[in-house]
Amino acid sequence: MRKRGSASLLLLSLALTLGMTACSSGGGNSNTSGNNAAGNEAGANNEPAKTEATTLSIMWWGPDARHEATKNALSIYTKQNANVTFKPEFMAWDAYWQKLPTLAASKSITDVLQMDAAFITEYVSRGQLEDLSDIDLSGIVDPKVIENLKIDGKLYGIPLSQNAQGIAYNKEELEKYGIALPKQNWTYDEFFQWARDAHAKLPEGKYPIGDSIGWDSFNFYQTSMGKDPVMAEEGKKFTLDKDLFMTYYKTYEEFRKAKIVPPAEQAAAFLENDPQADPMASGVLLTRGATTGSVSALEQLMPGKVGVVNMPIGPSGGGWAQSTIFLSVSANSKHKDEAKKFVQWFISDKEAGKALGLTRGIPINPEIYKELEPTLEPKDKLGKEIYDLSVEKALPFYSAAAGFTEWVDTYKKEMEAVTYGQQSIEDAYEKINKMGMDLAAKAGS
Amino acid sequence: MGTAETLTQAPHTKAARTSLRKRKNKEETNLAGYIFIAPWLIGFLLLTLWPIAQSFYLSFTEYSLLEAPVWTGTDNYANIFRNDDTFTKSLSVTFIFVLISVPLKLFFSLLVAMALSKNIRGMNVYRTAIYFPSLIGGSIAVAALWRNMFGLEGYVNQVLSWFGIQGVGWITNPDTALGTLILLNTWQFGSTMVIFLAGLKQIPQELYESASVDGAGRFRKFVSITLPMLSPVMFFNLVLGVIGSFQTFTSAFIITKGGPINSTYVYALFLYEKAFKHYQMGYASALAWILLVIVAVLTALNFLASRYWVFYESDGGRAK
Repeated sequence: MRKRGSASLLLLSLALTLGMTACSSGGGNSNTSGNNAAGNEAGANNEPAKTEATTLSIMWWGPDARHEATKNALSIYTKQNANVTFKPEFMAWDAYWQKLPTLAASKSITDVLQMDAAFITEYVSRGQLEDLSDIDLSGIVDPKVIENLKIDGKLYGIPLSQNAQGIAYNKEELEKYGIALPKQNWTYDEFFQWARDAHAKLPEGKYPIGDSIGWDSFNFYQTSMGKDPVMAEEGKKFTLDKDLFMTYYKTYEEFRKAKIVPPAEQAAAFLENDPQADPMASGVLLTRGATTGSVSALEQLMPGKVGVVNMPIGPSGGGWAQSTIFLSVSANSKHKDEAKKFVQWFISDKEAGKALGLTRGIPINPEIYKELEPTLEPKDKLGKEIYDLSVEKALPFYSAAAGFTEWVDTYKKEMEAVTYGQQSIEDAYEKINKMGMDLAAKAGS
Repeated sequence: MGTAETLTQAPHTKAARTSLRKRKNKEETNLAGYIFIAPWLIGFLLLTLWPIAQSFYLSFTEYSLLEAPVWTGTDNYANIFRNDDTFTKSLSVTFIFVLISVPLKLFFSLLVAMALSKNIRGMNVYRTAIYFPSLIGGSIAVAALWRNMFGLEGYVNQVLSWFGIQGVGWITNPDTALGTLILLNTWQFGSTMVIFLAGLKQIPQELYESASVDGAGRFRKFVSITLPMLSPVMFFNLVLGVIGSFQTFTSAFIITKGGPINSTYVYALFLYEKAFKHYQMGYASALAWILLVIVAVLTALNFLASRYWVFYESDGGRAK
């Protein structure tokens, strides 16, 4: 009995300890944040001494190569500035954009974070990002580029690289079937005609181009024809040109009937950069969209076979060529000065430049790119080629406006129903247009 | 040591406790009991009950995570019921999923359980082998495997092609996509099967013996002994199956992403995308509460219906 008794006591005390840790972990959190707040006040009042130890939290998305390169760059910074250490977090694109809103809601965004052109206006409009206009970027970034990136006259993201949208094609197979390679600055008419001609020379089961269901593809078309982008003025102005919409999707309807694009059932299984399911690497499509930052992944799947061309153009131009990846600083950061110093270093230090390579596209700093150029591999050169081909006719990069994420999904689903033959183009237009108009009215109110 | 002894004996019988303990002693026991469950209780209050209460409040607001919630009254509920075609669509997809996959899974797992309840040498090996896939059944890895099996170039179509049959893109065809998810759900029969197996082992062997003496055949024994004796277990599996299937998410999320054209857009996936893709936390909370009500009503209906078919031996007949 005695033995059992003491065993129960032991259990009881164990339970108590558990209970107490559960309680204190809640209290502990508020304590630490209190400490941080105090530290921040001290830092804000007078310039932090050089020896003051600082830990900067930093978060980015990307593939493994980028993770490794960035971690190396961080350790170089710590070597140069012994007082600064990092708390890095890195993940894939999807996870990143799922995590960031929750961090924003709890005002705990990392000190430094990677930002994308598609989302930056949304985070700026919610007051989550720090104004970085006072960082000196002269001699590092072209002043024109900086002017273009300003939102309401302020800079909220330090551009890291040059990026551009283009089209990759299977050079080897096009030559094999005697199909002319796409030429720079082809127009939409030439692009569609090229697809028809190529189809005539291809065996069954191979298709010159893919189907089109995303809003961005149509937005490229609409803007190249001189119309407004689908979303303008932060989502207050919505333009979906019905004539252009009908012309564009009627062409794809003709293509589906003529088997110039693959059937919907097959297209739905495509998964870019997957060795088996990539539309182009699997040998089903002969072309697909690619960006400066992403084309190297495709090249690695089919080495030596990839060629690139810019997006088809219209009277106003076509595609885009500009910075889309930035480093931003959280508006709630406790270490803003250190963070600003770091982001400036990130694009100007030569050693960092070498460590980072082209893992975020073509470095924005021409000097760093010059140093890297002799060591570039073919996969990297393709990215540069897309940029060089696109820059002449490039239009601005248009992203979905804040509050339009659901509309983007709806667009895809309605157009998907069209490709499966379950809905007419006209019906899809009505639904997509109505939802867009409603959202624009809401954004304007 | 008195308290400790009380503790060790407390769970034994209610009667013993009330008759033997003094009042003071009992209070101490209660306190000790609460301390014992404190880790669970605190976790439940902070991590379950509080978020549930929060979501009820949020369901009457518009909340994008980035800005503070704005009270909108019953707007979310009104919009869901009046204007949201996707709500109707995802609800009907989910109902079809539940209606087909639950009976199918019950039937299949009962079948396997009966096969595994036979006394054959090495039965434990078979049981382990058959239960084994269920250990990984609900995982993302299996969902990814399913995607490869039923893809246009997947193993299923390869096998079909040996017989000269041209397969379809099972996952990318709107007519068959939901079927593949139902099949996956059925294949994850492990835990249901184990519960059936335990139930079968509980049926007294004498019942079968005396039935044999009376000349009953195998079918007759199954209908008149196995089914009624197993009905409480079946009811348990049915209730859990309905609740679980209504919340099905992983397979639709990984394999089909709700597509093609919403044909596998199950309710939980719809809710998830509203919340974490479109950041409409208020709307998503309203959807969650509607799901809760639907599942609660169906479970209540199940319990009502159980009076007519579930047999409890301890009550000497039908359930109360």
